[in-house]
Amino acid sequence: MRWLIRRVLKKGKGAVSYEEDVHYGDVLTIGRAADQAIFLPDLRAALNHARVTLLSNGQYKVESLIIAGIRVNGDITYATTVSAGAIVEIGNTRLTLLAAPQDFDGGVEISTLDKTEQQAEKEKRAKPTRLVQTSLSKRVPAWILFTLILVFALALPMIGHFVPGFGELLRHTPLPSTMSWNPGQIDASHQFFGADCEKCHQKAFLTVRDNACLTCHANTPAHADPAKFNLPALGNAECRTCHQDHNGARGLIRTDQRLCSDCHINLKARTQNASTFEDVGDFGKSHPEFKIDLPGWDAANKFAPQRVTFKADLKENSGLKFNHFKHLKPDGLEAPKGHRTLDCKSCHVPDAGGAKMRPVNFETMCHDCHTLGFDVLAPDREVPHGKVSEVIYMLNEYYARVGLEGGYADAKSPAIVQERRRPGSPPLSQQQQQEALAWARERALQSTESLFTGKACTTCHKVTAPRSAGDTWNVAPVRVSGVWYTDAKFTHAKHVTVKCEDCHAARESKEAADLLIPGIDNCKACHAGAYAKDKVATTCISCHDYHQSANLKMGKL
Amino acid sequence: MHDSILTYAKSRYLWISLILLVGAIVAYVLHDPGGPPNGGTWLGYTLGTISALLIVWLMFFGIRKRQYLHNVGTLRGWLSAHIFLGSTLILLVLLHAGFQLGWNIHTFTYVLMLIVIFSGFFGLFAYLRYPSMMTRNRESATRDAMLDEVAEIDQNALSLADGIDPKIHAVVLRSIENTKLGGGVWTQLRAHDGSDLALESLHKALADREKKTESKTAEMPTMFAMVDFLAERATDKQGDAMRKLIDLISRKKSLATKVARDIQFQAMMEIWLYFHVPVSFALLAALIAHIVSSFFYW
Repeated sequence: MRWLIRRVLKKGKGAVSYEEDVHYGDVLTIGRAADQAIFLPDLRAALNHARVTLLSNGQYKVESLIIAGIRVNGDITYATTVSAGAIVEIGNTRLTLLAAPQDFDGGVEISTLDKTEQQAEKEKRAKPTRLVQTSLSKRVPAWILFTLILVFALALPMIGHFVPGFGELLRHTPLPSTMSWNPGQIDASHQFFGADCEKCHQKAFLTVRDNACLTCHANTPAHADPAKFNLPALGNAECRTCHQDHNGARGLIRTDQRLCSDCHINLKARTQNASTFEDVGDFGKSHPEFKIDLPGWDAANKFAPQRVTFKADLKENSGLKFNHFKHLKPDGLEAPKGHRTLDCKSCHVPDAGGAKMRPVNFETMCHDCHTLGFDVLAPDREVPHGKVSEVIYMLNEYYARVGLEGGYADAKSPAIVQERRRPGSPPLSQQQQQEALAWARERALQSTESLFTGKACTTCHKVTAPRSAGDTWNVAPVRVSGVWYTDAKFTHAKHVTVKCEDCHAARESKEAADLLIPGIDNCKACHAGAYAKDKVATTCISCHDYHQSANLKMGKL
Repeated sequence: MHDSILTYAKSRYLWISLILLVGAIVAYVLHDPGGPPNGGTWLGYTLGTISALLIVWLMFFGIRKRQYLHNVGTLRGWLSAHIFLGSTLILLVLLHAGFQLGWNIHTFTYVLMLIVIFSGFFGLFAYLRYPSMMTRNRESATRDAMLDEVAEIDQNALSLADGIDPKIHAVVLRSIENTKLGGGVWTQLRAHDGSDLALESLHKALADREKKTESKTAEMPTMFAMVDFLAERATDKQGDAMRKLIDLISRKKSLATKVARDIQFQAMMEIWLYFHVPVSFALLAALIAHIVSSFFYW
């Protein structure tokens, strides 16, 4: 095989000349030893540094003969197959493998690097010694992260807001939707529509408007009549002022004292006397005495409670005569059906809601002792309790029947009434009937009077006799249990841990007129304001509602 | 005493930061929002605004440090303020949020901010630790001087090795190829140069040679030993050269190690910035998303 070995000789001023040589053999040896085909007088070359073999397909095989390897096309290698044009670098020498020139099987061009080339080569090979010289960058990842986050955390959810279908799709992917903007858990009561941000946040960049709330809360009672009180002028009265969602499952309703006391201090002056409320602040320190609704009736006997400020010696009119002291004797009472000891719950039973007491029931609570018999000859018969007219009807009907049927064993009554009718007796004559019915009317009248004036009704009730011919007996209306403080939400159910006597001094009461409902001092024994340290911390909302209007609804304002 | 970044101007910015923090804590404790504390109360908005402005100002440090003609405060003052005021954000932002954290963009922003701040803490640690270590490591030489010396040693070693044995020459050649000073990020941070290998081979070669000489003297008859001894004297020169070569390579090794460590220290002082800065921009984007989304659904 014929190799062309061309040496490039550099002369001054960039001029170049070539010196060509021929080498015979399959292998071209390269090194510092004298027997090498290409002799390199450079300390950085080993004696037998490398060899190049010409392969049949015009390619060259370059092999390193030393453990340091050889640099081919810039990379250190031990053996590699390259095509023409490959560059082998040893020390200052650059060998370029040539495509076989005419009349040759292979060729190599040898050039020596001059100083500038060496310097350039050195710099090219120099490894980075500063991070700035590496591929590390601050700008590129900064831009990438900045863009990615803006796209995924802001743009994507925002598109989801404006294109509802896309927003819905997003929510079903792991990609961030508008839910990723949710700053905190939604109140438990709102969670059923919590994924629909637009239900409350109807317009972008606008705060939640009352209209959004009123979609559902139109029937929520209002606070005060806007015709009388300009709430926005008194204080911000938008829903969101008090109700801020995304504050946890129970974070929507404010219960703090300031919610009310902000406005209810100096309210009269600020409403130009439109408000009749006294100033209220801290329950323990600046809450006025309670206003109690005492039972009362108007001229038409319609229940019309009277609101008065609670006082210790206040009397009430329940319409009843009752002596708690007598009924609550610790050693009990002798009742017709045996010995009985009464206590509060014998007569006062909470209603189903647990807030107030059920009305006292005559039939189940009083009747065991207080029977309504009217005739010793008919000890089992009693008049019904409740309606005067029913009592009179019943007595009339009873004695009419007795008179007509006869057999009434009262010596003072007419013979026709005393006479017992036997089977087969002839029917009463018209005269006999009239006589019997006349007796019956008289007897019913006596019994009625006896009941309403004597031992029965008047035991407990105030009864007035008929004033004229068309009038009837009148029993005063009664109100025993009910709501005494209508603007507060006291509930017995929450106070089962205290004894009845702790609040109601019933055991010593001998008059029904004794007001057994306690005032604020009794509450203050256990409760104090929001910042109480040694008592039950109680804010306004514990007893009062903000949305408390009986007839005004939020949706109608 | 030397004034470090932390004690700059009698720790002026430490005190400013502490006052800021104490003020925020007192306001937070006294503030009664009526409901749970959150970012939507007046204090929440106030602390949020302060924090957002702080973040933007802290990021402006990246611009300020390039403005050599800037004359509002010294760069060291800015850095000191950057560190202390940046650290206050850890608590300031929690107070802003009323300690409400969740799986959302808002907490994501906070987490990014923590990553930026704690990477900054590493940077501070690096700035306080490595410069003095670099000075000690260099022993008043410069990196270029050390590199030049390495190149010179390489030349000398090659000519020495050439006089010994082609194999040794190859070992030295390989050592030159393998000595990696600088390189990729990982190489710079690891401070690993490949100069150990050559030294091991040289020691092994020397040990082999001495063993061979000993065994030869022990085994050979006296006459031959005598001849051999005379011949050995010639090769003994090679032994000397070899020891000299080992000394050279050892010197190179220690130099290379120093250069590698120098590169490592410098890389350690710089590497955190390649994290701190991009994540800062991520934080800026998240902050924009946090603010816009908060007011989008106000």
